[in-house]
Amino acid sequence: MGIFDFLFSSPHKKAEFIAAYEAGFGQKIPASRGLSFLPFVVLDTETTGLEPKTDYILSFGAVKLRGFQINMQESLEWYLRTPARSREAIEVHEILQPGELIDLQAFGEQFLTYIGNSILVGHHVGFDLEMLTKALKPFGFRKFLNPVLDTHSLAVRLEKGPHYDSSMGKPGEYSLDSLCERYQITLDDRHTAAGDAYLTAQLLMKLLKLAEKKGIRSYGELIR
Amino acid sequence: MSNVIANRVKEFLKRFPPFSFLTEEALGEVSQGVVIRYFGKDELLFSKGDPAQPYFFVLKEGSISLVDYIEQEEKIVEVCDEGDVFGVLALLGKRPYRLTAKTLEDSLLYAIPVASFDKILTENSRVALYFAAGFASGQVVVRTDLSQSQRARTEFSEISKDNGLLIFTGQSDLNFSKDVLTCGPELTIQQAAKKMADTGVGSIVIVNETNHPLGIITDKDLRNRLVAQGKSFETPVTELMTSPVLTKKKDALFSELYLTMIKFRLHHLIFTEDGTDQSPVVGILSDHDILLSQGNSPAVLIHALMNTWEISEMGKLRDRAEKLLFYYLENEVSMDFVANIITEINDIIIQRIIQLTQRKLADEYPGMEQVKFCFLSLGSEGREEQLLRTDLDNAIVFEDVVQEKLERTQAYFLRLGEEVVEGLLCCGFQACPADMMANNIRWCQPLAQWKQYFSDWILTPSQKAVLHATIFFDFRPIYGTKSLAEEMSQHIYEEIGEKKIFLNFLAKNALLNPPPLGFFRNFIVEKSGEQKDKFDIKLRAMMPLTDIARLLVLSHRVIGVNNTYKRFEKLIELEPNHTELMQEAGKAYEILMRMRAIEGLKNNSSGRYISPEALGKLQRQLLKNTFSPIDELQKMIKVRFQTDFFAG
Repeated sequence: MGIFDFLFSSPHKKAEFIAAYEAGFGQKIPASRGLSFLPFVVLDTETTGLEPKTDYILSFGAVKLRGFQINMQESLEWYLRTPARSREAIEVHEILQPGELIDLQAFGEQFLTYIGNSILVGHHVGFDLEMLTKALKPFGFRKFLNPVLDTHSLAVRLEKGPHYDSSMGKPGEYSLDSLCERYQITLDDRHTAAGDAYLTAQLLMKLLKLAEKKGIRSYGELIR
Repeated sequence: MSNVIANRVKEFLKRFPPFSFLTEEALGEVSQGVVIRYFGKDELLFSKGDPAQPYFFVLKEGSISLVDYIEQEEKIVEVCDEGDVFGVLALLGKRPYRLTAKTLEDSLLYAIPVASFDKILTENSRVALYFAAGFASGQVVVRTDLSQSQRARTEFSEISKDNGLLIFTGQSDLNFSKDVLTCGPELTIQQAAKKMADTGVGSIVIVNETNHPLGIITDKDLRNRLVAQGKSFETPVTELMTSPVLTKKKDALFSELYLTMIKFRLHHLIFTEDGTDQSPVVGILSDHDILLSQGNSPAVLIHALMNTWEISEMGKLRDRAEKLLFYYLENEVSMDFVANIITEINDIIIQRIIQLTQRKLADEYPGMEQVKFCFLSLGSEGREEQLLRTDLDNAIVFEDVVQEKLERTQAYFLRLGEEVVEGLLCCGFQACPADMMANNIRWCQPLAQWKQYFSDWILTPSQKAVLHATIFFDFRPIYGTKSLAEEMSQHIYEEIGEKKIFLNFLAKNALLNPPPLGFFRNFIVEKSGEQKDKFDIKLRAMMPLTDIARLLVLSHRVIGVNNTYKRFEKLIELEPNHTELMQEAGKAYEILMRMRAIEGLKNNSSGRYISPEALGKLQRQLLKNTFSPIDELQKMIKVRFQTDFFAG
């Protein structure tokens, strides 16, 4: 989200739920807060492709994590009503005809209420957030105000230290699959949004425990 | 709510009891309420005395120890592993925790809200029963009460077909003839008899033009109704045939067919298309077919054994007994019955081989048939507990003869022993690695020498003596003059009365293998070698119980009760204040025998080494539960025989 995007963004009228979301960020999380008190939303999207400009979100899955605890009742999975569905994407994700589709506005409202001011977590989460930003743009959404944590970067940081250049490593060394394998998380329901969110949440729990061992114990130390 | 994730949880839970007993729908509901919690190593989940949380727990991965503090000392009561359910006191209401739960490694838990389980407990009696057993013991659903777990297991095990005691082996084994010899009603009896002779069958079905059965003529009819009556060979078949005929559909239940034949004293039963005599003949079932199909019933096996002198045939019959055994074990037929049948079959084989050998040696050793002897089974066969053909342990005792005849007599019985052991090996039994068999001169001795052996073991007990005692004390006469064996028993009885210290040695021996309680994942597994990571069910669980039962029974100067669970039964009589413990021990032994035999039959092995990983959850818990009576009995023995103060 570059500065030019902001300057030249189309003048969408800000919907009420966007304003409510933005208003939720009055107070920042204190830097000294312990890891087990932090609210995380671990999310994943399945999309028609990798190009935010032309592709769409097909489905969205998320899990809430707080105090090393996932409440099943707070996990969710939505299939979005999107303008186009590419054949290739359907083949990868095998999302053919999901039962119930949610339209974009309802999704936006419920999604922003769900995440509130939690820390957003995902594996290569930047892409998911970019897709989500685009999806919410018609309602006057500009950008995510939440703190963001990428399990990919966190894993690299914990394993190789903060100054590691990830381009030096083996390709795929920090993919969700290889991390799950390394941290002994059973790979199930891969390539469904909810399945991947759940895997990522389990990975996050293990990474956070590892972080605690390495002296990263507070919000300030985790999010830099 | 995400279905993908809930399904994930559901798939895991349904592998383990009590969740495996829930309906798909109920399980779905439970899964949606689950809270997934992650703990690092050495974290506390709850402490003794804490009020119960509104959850109980299922361990998804990792391991958790449940710890008690007695006089400031930490004691691990239980180590939970994957699928274990604990913290169930929460289900009973607001009772504080009785133990402390601590992670031994990073652990992922499913917390199941009590609220979602209350309804299930009232509606699903299997689940309630499962928990009920666990409540008694407290934290973990570990059923120390074996009768409960046995009951639970029987209820849970899916008995697919009620085959009774394998009198009816099921449809697949039933062979009947589809080529039915038929003829029209216009034929004479001679023409019909010619047809029968040409095709070599004993019966002919008379049919009309549409192939519907009208009647049947058998060999017996030719004898009784034709020849004996002096009738003409030109008699029409319709005059001689049995009519109307009893017909059935060919896919009728075997039991129905069998009972029909018995009821009407039929030797042949005709199958028609729709089961009535108004449709075409499709097959015929003879009583011979019925007999063959019952090939694995105990009566048939025993009958067959009694009718053969071929050792190779005996081996085949013993193989068939194995199938019977597997069927019995799978169908929870009482161990008493199973062991009796198999022991009977084994005994008959031994007896037949001895008789066979005696005949064979008669010419070479004239006069020897006059010498009294007794063939003894020892060890597990002696205790009537040898379900699988594992090690042979046997011996021969013969009457005391004058010195000059001893050498020749002994040579004869040694030959006898050798031949019998060889015969048994041919029948699939395994040789004893320690050579405790009748073909070893040490164990083929006159009565006086046997008495001397027992006296030595009892009066000057050593490690080796005790080892021998544990095998030889469980002797059982199989063939020959029983009074010789009785005299040996009487002798042992008197000697033990004299020398009580021997019992302390036996007690010490019975404590050699402590039950693997309280260790990581609750099983001591082999550390290396071929059996790495396997649990030695014989050494760790069965032998302690066998040793204890023998010791206690001998200490009451009871002889003649050899079988381990019968010994525990006897002990209920002898020590009524320990009724419950003795009952549990007996049941534990039964469970272990069954488990070992099933394992052995499945893997074509001795069944001795069991892989705990491969056991189902319920099986694993059953196995764990057998350790607790062992533990209690060993504690009792320690005190009673003062083994701590006894250097042995």
